[in-house]
Amino acid sequence: MSKPLKKISLTKLLHQNKNKWSFIKLRQFYQSLEKILKETCSYAELCTNNGHWLDYTGTEMNSSCFSCSSVKPDCVCELTFSFSQLFEGPVFFYYGLSNYYQNYRQYGVSKDANQLSGDTTYFLSPQDTCSPYQYDSSGKPIVPCGSIANSKFNDTFKLYLMVNGVKTLVPFDGKGIAWWTDYNVKYRNPATVNGSLAKAFDGTVKPPNWPKPAYELDPSDAANNGFVNQDFLVWMRRAALPNFRKLYGRITGGDYSQGLPAGNYTLQINYNYPVVNFKGTKKVIFSNVSWMGGKNEFLGLAYLVIGCLCVVMAIVMLIVYAKYKFSDDDDMQ
Amino acid sequence: MAKRDTSCSEETGMTWQVRANCQHFHKPLGRKSFLCFRWGRYADNLVRSYKYSPLTFLPLTLYEQFQRAANFFFLLIVVMQCVPLIATLPWYITMLPLLTVLIMRGAKDLLTDLGRRRSDAKINRRPCDILTTQGFTAAQWKDVCVGDILRIHKDQVIPADLLLLCSTEPHSLCYVETADIDGETNLKFRQAPAITHDELTSGPIEELLLPFDGVVWCEEPNGRLYLFRGELHWRGQSHLLDIEHMLLRGTVLRNTDTVYGLVIYTGSDSKILRNCGSLKVKKTWMERFLNKVVVTIVVCLLTVALLLAVGCGLFEHWVGSKIEVLAAIRGSYSPAYRGFLNFWGYIILLSPAMPISLYITFELIHVVHCLQIGWDIKMYWEENEKPAQARTTSLNEELGQVGHLLSDKTGTLTQNRLIFRQCCIAGHIYGDITAKTKPLDLSWNRFSCGGLQFSDQRLVDRLLQRNCPETLEFFTALALCHTVMSEWKDGLPRYQAASPDEEALVCAARELGWVFLSRTRDSLTVSELGFTLHYHLLAVLDFSSKRRRMSVLVRTPDGGLKLYCKGADVIILERLRKGSPHQESTEQALEAFAQSCLRTLCVAVRCVSEAQWMEWSHALSQAAMATTHRETMLEEVYEQMEKELTMLGVTAIEDRLQEGVPETISSLRQAGVKVWVLTGDKTETAVNVGYACKLMDPDTRLLQGEELRQLLQSPTTEVSFHKDKESLVWSTDKMSQKSKAAIVVDGFELAELTKTPEMGGRFVALSNQCQSVLCCRVTPAQKAEVVELVKKNSSSVTMAIGDGANDVNMIKTAHIGVGLCGVEGGQAVQNADFALAQFSFLRRLLLVHGRWSYRRICSFLRYFLYKTTCFALVHIWYSLYNGFSAQPMYESWFIALYTVMYTSLPVQCLGIFEQDISAESSLNRPELYRVGQKQELFNPLILCGTLLYSIYTSIILFFIPVGVLQSLDLDYQTLAVTVEMSAVFSATLEIILQTRFWTKYNCAAVLFSLVVFFLSSVILHSPRLFTSFPNDYIFFGASLNAFANPVVWLTAILTTCTAVLPSFTVQALSVVLAKNNKHKIHSSKEPVELKSWFNRGVPHRRSSYAMSQGKGFGKLMTLGMGVRSTTPSLEGRVTPATSLH
Repeated sequence: MSKPLKKISLTKLLHQNKNKWSFIKLRQFYQSLEKILKETCSYAELCTNNGHWLDYTGTEMNSSCFSCSSVKPDCVCELTFSFSQLFEGPVFFYYGLSNYYQNYRQYGVSKDANQLSGDTTYFLSPQDTCSPYQYDSSGKPIVPCGSIANSKFNDTFKLYLMVNGVKTLVPFDGKGIAWWTDYNVKYRNPATVNGSLAKAFDGTVKPPNWPKPAYELDPSDAANNGFVNQDFLVWMRRAALPNFRKLYGRITGGDYSQGLPAGNYTLQINYNYPVVNFKGTKKVIFSNVSWMGGKNEFLGLAYLVIGCLCVVMAIVMLIVYAKYKFSDDDDMQ
Repeated sequence: MAKRDTSCSEETGMTWQVRANCQHFHKPLGRKSFLCFRWGRYADNLVRSYKYSPLTFLPLTLYEQFQRAANFFFLLIVVMQCVPLIATLPWYITMLPLLTVLIMRGAKDLLTDLGRRRSDAKINRRPCDILTTQGFTAAQWKDVCVGDILRIHKDQVIPADLLLLCSTEPHSLCYVETADIDGETNLKFRQAPAITHDELTSGPIEELLLPFDGVVWCEEPNGRLYLFRGELHWRGQSHLLDIEHMLLRGTVLRNTDTVYGLVIYTGSDSKILRNCGSLKVKKTWMERFLNKVVVTIVVCLLTVALLLAVGCGLFEHWVGSKIEVLAAIRGSYSPAYRGFLNFWGYIILLSPAMPISLYITFELIHVVHCLQIGWDIKMYWEENEKPAQARTTSLNEELGQVGHLLSDKTGTLTQNRLIFRQCCIAGHIYGDITAKTKPLDLSWNRFSCGGLQFSDQRLVDRLLQRNCPETLEFFTALALCHTVMSEWKDGLPRYQAASPDEEALVCAARELGWVFLSRTRDSLTVSELGFTLHYHLLAVLDFSSKRRRMSVLVRTPDGGLKLYCKGADVIILERLRKGSPHQESTEQALEAFAQSCLRTLCVAVRCVSEAQWMEWSHALSQAAMATTHRETMLEEVYEQMEKELTMLGVTAIEDRLQEGVPETISSLRQAGVKVWVLTGDKTETAVNVGYACKLMDPDTRLLQGEELRQLLQSPTTEVSFHKDKESLVWSTDKMSQKSKAAIVVDGFELAELTKTPEMGGRFVALSNQCQSVLCCRVTPAQKAEVVELVKKNSSSVTMAIGDGANDVNMIKTAHIGVGLCGVEGGQAVQNADFALAQFSFLRRLLLVHGRWSYRRICSFLRYFLYKTTCFALVHIWYSLYNGFSAQPMYESWFIALYTVMYTSLPVQCLGIFEQDISAESSLNRPELYRVGQKQELFNPLILCGTLLYSIYTSIILFFIPVGVLQSLDLDYQTLAVTVEMSAVFSATLEIILQTRFWTKYNCAAVLFSLVVFFLSSVILHSPRLFTSFPNDYIFFGASLNAFANPVVWLTAILTTCTAVLPSFTVQALSVVLAKNNKHKIHSSKEPVELKSWFNRGVPHRRSSYAMSQGKGFGKLMTLGMGVRSTTPSLEGRVTPATSLH
């Protein structure tokens, strides 16, 4: 007698609760989705959907990098933005490219692993996979050979904090941004000849797109040259998708260990890398990092959705089971 | 002369020429072969059932293996991988698995073939004697040539088809047992042509045979066992030959000392081998279906590859050309050409979706299933120490799908031993069929040979006291009324009977003191309780299947005339004189015997007066002289004598069934298996056995002869009427009664009824509504035709079971052939797919092993297709993001190892150990077997579901990690490791969900897979390997970095859970819903029990007198042809014939 009553009340309760719950969730979910999908925001400020980022491709007339977007070497442009409150640290600074197929198969194999591990026998005769960046027009071998190396990203950034109208440099820590294994095992410089790295590269030419040869990549730090240059290593680790980001540097030093304080910032960009002709975009991203890496809304949302789905299904199963069980009891009687 | 012969022979179709003692004529015409070319006319006498020779093994086995779509496909892939332009994966990734598959499979085939060679050699080395200029010399079967003259001794197997020239018996008769040819164990007699008998036995035989130069013209070799046409030309005369003059290969010489024969057909020309079909490789439905699936997958792959190639072309045209970096790589190739190259690249890349290791795993699981069958202690027969044996290792899952069981009778259902179990004399029933009491003390009887399974002391007491004349008369009748011949061995009489029934009766009489000692053409000598009496044999009223009785008319030692008659109960009862005593009690006894499925015979006597005899013998001689209608006239005369009979009693003989046959058949019938019995034996015997082994219930209606013909030839009404009824399954008693019918048909009718394909279809359709089908008097070739008929007209799996050479054909033809290791020699087993020691093991083989095999293999296939496709399809989704460049999602080593190591062991454990319910429950619930017959666990629909599920999984596997990656700076290799991890986790979780029966091996396998995945990832990405081969191990460091990243783990876990969510839901639902069903099955299960078999309707009496006896033996006896005209002494005098040894 009491059984059916209980059942009804229980299901009713569940039903009501579920409605309320699902409504709230649905709203939240929709808002988040909108946030993720909407990529347009004005150029003067930092976009805050899906991380904090800034597009500097310069396709828009009002963008300060517009003048640089048509191919001009050593063009410099500046973008300004502000933080209204402390952007908590540690802050990582990335550059991002879109519509750029680093995961293209032939692109991916276009390098010589032996050469990059410092084997000088491959300096003079790079692998065929490097073609068409195997030898230059005069027949000299290119080191480092191949498309990946040749297409190395060469924009550079400088971040300034405006303190009382004075530009203060916010230093990027570019050390240790590459994988330990890459830096220590996979990529090795050739043995120096008479203490000079440049001599080891004798008889080779730099990749055609590079302004400087490999042994002169970082004039400020002699150890950060050749194949173990951190930016080079980051670039050589291919991205998985056509829209990707790569770590440029950490902002951890000195005054900025707590994060970026509120205020106006200026980002000075050395605009070298052409993307406009294939409708690519370039952007920079600030991200504060937790124990599980950068901020990731998708993962959390996906967990919530799947979790909810499981809960709903569990309830449905329970109801089905209960129904069958009760009908069984009826049969027995 | 010879020329005329040839022309006349060609007209009559007799073109096969055999010249006796003329090797130089036949030798040049010997058949030779090289590879697949054959020439020459006369085959040699070698048996070659093997397939491969050292020269042909490699090409043949490769040819066979590349007929498999998957193998061929992978060969192409390997070839393609060698082209650098399109090699998206290294060549060894596909080459290694393919080579393993080919080698393992080839080795298996080779071993099987070597086994065949060994058994062939054993047959080819059998001894025989060939006549040469030095007289008869010992030789082997393989030396026998056409035109040779052979000497065959008693109990030897005839090595080739012979023309009987003469024998040591009177009239050159000889007796052969044809069990290996038609399954009949009774003796048949063959007789030499009169001319050779007369000429060749007139002096020392070898001297007469050596100059023998007869020429036989006969038909070309053929498979007709009961027909032979030929002419013997000798000394200017020609003599007609027929099958009665022939001794066929495979028959055994019995009861005849020595025969001499001329070899007509040898080896593959002989009739029995012509009757055997050729060796066929059997394929299961599943395998054929799998091949189709593979072809479908290939087509899908090609389509997808084509689409992706088009995508590639478009990408190159619209996007790639604008990206300077990519344009530079592409160089001078046009977008279309790039697309064309990528088409092949994609085929290679997607080829892991083709389950290459599926076949090898499939075979491995089959082999283990076969071992499990062999290891099953419950299918081990202690008496001959024979375990069950699976000789073909590819048919296991069909054991779980058998719809039609076609069984031989003799030696398969029955033990082929008839035993005198009970009798009823003067209204008293002696003997008890159920109770096992100690054997009788028969030491007072010096002729007792033992072997009597009858234990009723009352009967012996009554006999020894001699106070019941009817009892004495009964046994006198048993000792006199028969056509048995006696033979002396060790001072004891041994009997050779034309039918096993008679032998059983005469032996029983001997054990109980009425010993039949010997016979001559006109007398019978009998020892009655030690007193030797001579009866004068006046007439034998022979048996025929129409008369169903036989009688002897004798003059007793005291001068009276008596007619002893035995026959079928119906026949005898209507010929009793009025007021014959004990009639009622006899009828009750008959009913009781029939209920216990014994073969009954009525024995009766009539005293004949001198006057009646004189008159009747006159009529008899007149009838015998008649030229027309002699048979009918004789029958009428016999009829006049066999009347006014006095009932003496009833004998009850048990046609011993093999152990557990009725239970097995009833179980199989509950399991929905249609049981057909095909036998070379007579209709009555077959029907009798059918009742005894519960093939038919006592109230089953037999559809026979004319009724059956009308049913089949009438327009569709009747058949469809049956069909309608069947759909309302057993809803009312009336209907269930009506559908209780069994078809009984003999070979000739069968041939007629299934002349055209549509008639055959109707026959099978009708038979599907009947309980069972009995086909009697069918030849070995016809048995195979019946199997073919069933195969053609129904979709179900057929299984043939038999024990003799006559069953070889059907065993080979059926989807599954089972051979019983019986007494009839190993031929059936040699050709069978499974060998059992007992028919009853079939129940366990089908209901337990078959059902499990089917379930396991279905689960295995579903899972296997799922795991390979879901992992390979990820490449399609990735293509959308990498410019259709055929970039692999995974590391190439992962692709190779995924199917071989990371996911192979758990699914093998599933395929080997999985069981839904225990063996006991499987046996108790035969209705569960129907799942396999209806192919419910693996069919196109299920396959589509599986593929859809795997597509879903592949989407989840790719898009969740990609979604996570949107806001991270993870590189391609980390994504690859994440997706790899998710794929392995999903596959493992799925197998955990699928496995119902957990053994320690399953747990170990699951653990092992995961551990191996992590270990090998770490090892393959280790610095050591990278520094040695930097170009092959490009993933160096990837897994170490990925495994240290919590996001990767969180992503992999989420992906895995989402990927198997549908499967989990289905499992949960099935648990929730099945609980209910199971409950219902249980409650409805109770009334279905074996007891229903005792709930008999009105049993109609069945009598089976002389079931397996051919007619004509009475004539043989009275003409004295088969009988030595001298009376052998009681001591067993050595005859001149036996002294030859």
